[in-house]
Amino acid sequence: MTPNRDARILMTFPVTATSHLLAEARARGQYSALDKALKTMTPAEIGKEVTASGLQGRGGAAFSAGRKWSVIQLDDGQTHFLCANADEGEPGTFKDRWILENSPHQLIESMLIAAYALQVRHAFVYMRGEFSGPYRRLQAALDEAYDAGLVGENILGTGFSCDIIIYRGAGSYVCGEASALITSIEGKRGYPRNRPPRLTVKGLYQKPTVINNVETLSNIAWIVNNGSAAFKAIGSPKAPGTRLISISGHVAKPGVYEIEIGYPWKRLIYEDAGGMLGGAALKCVIPGGISTKVLTAAEVETLNLDPTEVEPAGSSMGSGGMIAIAEGTCMVRLLQVMLRFYHHESCGQCTPCREGMGWLHRIIDRIVMGMGRVEDLDQMIHISKLQDGNTICGMGDAAGYAVIGILAKYRHEFEHWITTGRSLCEGKLECLASS
Amino acid sequence: MPRIFIDGQPFDASLEHTVMQVADANGIYIPRLCWHPKLSIAGNCRLCVVQVEGRSWVEISCNMPVSENLRVQTDTELVRAHRKAILQFLTLNHPVDCGICDKAGECTLQDYHVAYNGEASVSREPKVEITKFYSLSSRITLDNERCVLCTRCVRFTHEVSKSHALGVQDRGDYSVIRPSQGPGASPLEHDAYSDNIIDLCPVGALLSKDFLYKDRVWYLKATPSVCPGCERGCNIDVWHRKPEWALRSLDARHNTAIARVTPRDNPAVNGPWVCNKARDLAQILERPRAHAPMARGREVPFDEALVQARALIAKARRPVALVSSWGSNEELQAFKVAFGERFACFVKADHQPADGEVVADELLIRADKNPNGHTARALFGSAPVAFAPDTDLVLVWGEGADFAALPRGVPVIFLNAYLAPENGHADVFFPISVMTEQRGHFSNFEGVTSAFERCFAKPPGVLDAQGLFEALGVYTAREAVTP
Repeated sequence: MTPNRDARILMTFPVTATSHLLAEARARGQYSALDKALKTMTPAEIGKEVTASGLQGRGGAAFSAGRKWSVIQLDDGQTHFLCANADEGEPGTFKDRWILENSPHQLIESMLIAAYALQVRHAFVYMRGEFSGPYRRLQAALDEAYDAGLVGENILGTGFSCDIIIYRGAGSYVCGEASALITSIEGKRGYPRNRPPRLTVKGLYQKPTVINNVETLSNIAWIVNNGSAAFKAIGSPKAPGTRLISISGHVAKPGVYEIEIGYPWKRLIYEDAGGMLGGAALKCVIPGGISTKVLTAAEVETLNLDPTEVEPAGSSMGSGGMIAIAEGTCMVRLLQVMLRFYHHESCGQCTPCREGMGWLHRIIDRIVMGMGRVEDLDQMIHISKLQDGNTICGMGDAAGYAVIGILAKYRHEFEHWITTGRSLCEGKLECLASS
Repeated sequence: MPRIFIDGQPFDASLEHTVMQVADANGIYIPRLCWHPKLSIAGNCRLCVVQVEGRSWVEISCNMPVSENLRVQTDTELVRAHRKAILQFLTLNHPVDCGICDKAGECTLQDYHVAYNGEASVSREPKVEITKFYSLSSRITLDNERCVLCTRCVRFTHEVSKSHALGVQDRGDYSVIRPSQGPGASPLEHDAYSDNIIDLCPVGALLSKDFLYKDRVWYLKATPSVCPGCERGCNIDVWHRKPEWALRSLDARHNTAIARVTPRDNPAVNGPWVCNKARDLAQILERPRAHAPMARGREVPFDEALVQARALIAKARRPVALVSSWGSNEELQAFKVAFGERFACFVKADHQPADGEVVADELLIRADKNPNGHTARALFGSAPVAFAPDTDLVLVWGEGADFAALPRGVPVIFLNAYLAPENGHADVFFPISVMTEQRGHFSNFEGVTSAFERCFAKPPGVLDAQGLFEALGVYTAREAVTP
């Protein structure tokens, strides 16, 4: 753990007009880890190193990357696949975009090392359809890497071959879910799959498949270069490393910040992100994408950005898509926007989510139209609980968390709207905008 | 072999099986909408939840693999609560228009609602309005509002009939089943098995246009039968008006008409499927019928026709018989006893593939469009029809004989169920009953014998072929001894 908690793994260089190009990336030492991995390490050694590093998934579920990798049997004679999940669709999250746009070679190098460690011949990047800029950057970087002999046949003369294929999605939130993602790559409708079988047993084209978030994968090169002990020294003991936090909402300087895990929450908002917009008071924070439970200003006051602290507080770090919400924001409307999103993005495969999202959305719409009833709030919580754990993928649960989280802390705003027909926060946020 | 416990009862199971399959095989019923034994696992209805002992959550049983000493409970409080919740979700946007729905009475959702929910909807929100009466083909109409998106129909067209005709469009609660436009997809119109999706549909979303609003199913009786459409001999249920609900005021023909045909599961023959030809059995069996015996085109009383036929048979030295491959095993046996020794018997194909009909495929449809050629050939050989030059009598049983190809000037005895020009050309003609008016057996091309039962009484003036053979045969046998 570094004393000032300012360690950097990914954002180690100033972004310039050319900093994403291969020449500058190599000048920064990029692809040295690939060289080291291919020439001096066995696939099993890399796997051990990643497991030892304690690297956790950065997509939201925080599953141990090493444990996910260890399911793959290197000598099972099967084709293995690797997918980088760049379908960054969680509202409020745009951290992977920074890597794809500004440090694409970091991802490519890490993917190649991961592909070597997992004995993968074809690796995929599943990129959300809306990412046209990041797609062009990554594709250009990939072309550069192919030309330099870093991807493709016989990489660096070691005999190891791996192709990286970028697959662009068509704009579905659910396709960021790992099993829907591979179903989409297979050319089918992006429906999540039932587990079992796990994807590491039967994934893409029914072959063992590892799907990692872009940010998770991008750490691999650093771990190989510096060793797992150095990685473990950063961050908190149970959750080592750094995180890219994309902060948005009512802050002066929204953007992507790399923080060491354990970084004080208030320091991120008030120092790095420049404090609240117009000096407004902080009302609450959505910590990591709208599927994580909202935390009030009082709750984040003393918290550090560390899963071991955020989880006991009743939320999670999620995908790192932080939204800071100023005093005066109407939580009823906020929930309405969230539920509209979930209703729109429900894939419609399994019953609870397909029907439940529409139901929740219609109830909140009715409340906002002034036709709410007090018992609607309990009904919404009831629906959310029924969805929890009863759907094929995690989206049903996620929407439920959003509803339960907001209703638990801001029920009085909903009751006020239901009884008076207007928002408790009417007009307050507009004052902020004009100040 | 691993042992699992369902509701405390131990069962031996295979590791390849799921809990749902083990429960099904052992008579423990777990409600399901999307799961079907012959289709892949979709796991989308979430109704088949069970609870593993010691866990505080529920899981779906259709996708739960068997493991050693797995202990599941199918009826805990949590399971009941989840089932109820799912049924509430399902009826949220379902129109609940059972009163005008053809599926009412045999609707899974209706049954489950009574069994597992039984409460009025708690929702006050307006229902999603989607398409009603979306025409999928000339045979099938789709009511998207009733659809619960179990995707059984989609999976059927992808996995069984292979037409890839259906898919899901749009997302969330606006998802709709629609004709697929993907590569390799062919329209449902050309899917010879399309009507199976009507049976597969657990609700009243997919409906037969032919059956639409014709009958309530509780007025109908399902009589086990066999499809005569080809030599597969698919087992079917013929649905017709129950005698106790016979209509008096409307057209009485409703009481003796086939209302619809559905498959009857027989793993040895057809599994749970039949092709569309079986559904259209009425088009074959309900053609205009012959009602009276005739002699050279003139209606005669039965006794007179019998006397004339007997005289012709007694006189004949080299008679030839064309045997129907639509006769039941019993009829064919009676024919063999009555005429087998005196007549040169040839098996005739009563029906040939019709224009536009699928001749044969890999699933069920066979090229021989006659149900009992197997038994007929076993009894009478498979030699092609040939007439010796001195043939002096031809007995034709059933359709399909080309009268122009019969030897000229030779007397003909003709047995047929339907009105046909040939009936009047025969020297003696007898009207006979069809398969829905008698009971018997067919043996399919693999030798699997299936029984069919009587659905309706014979029309007046019509004879069972078997009785007729005996009436003619006993006489001829006696004649053969006396001279």
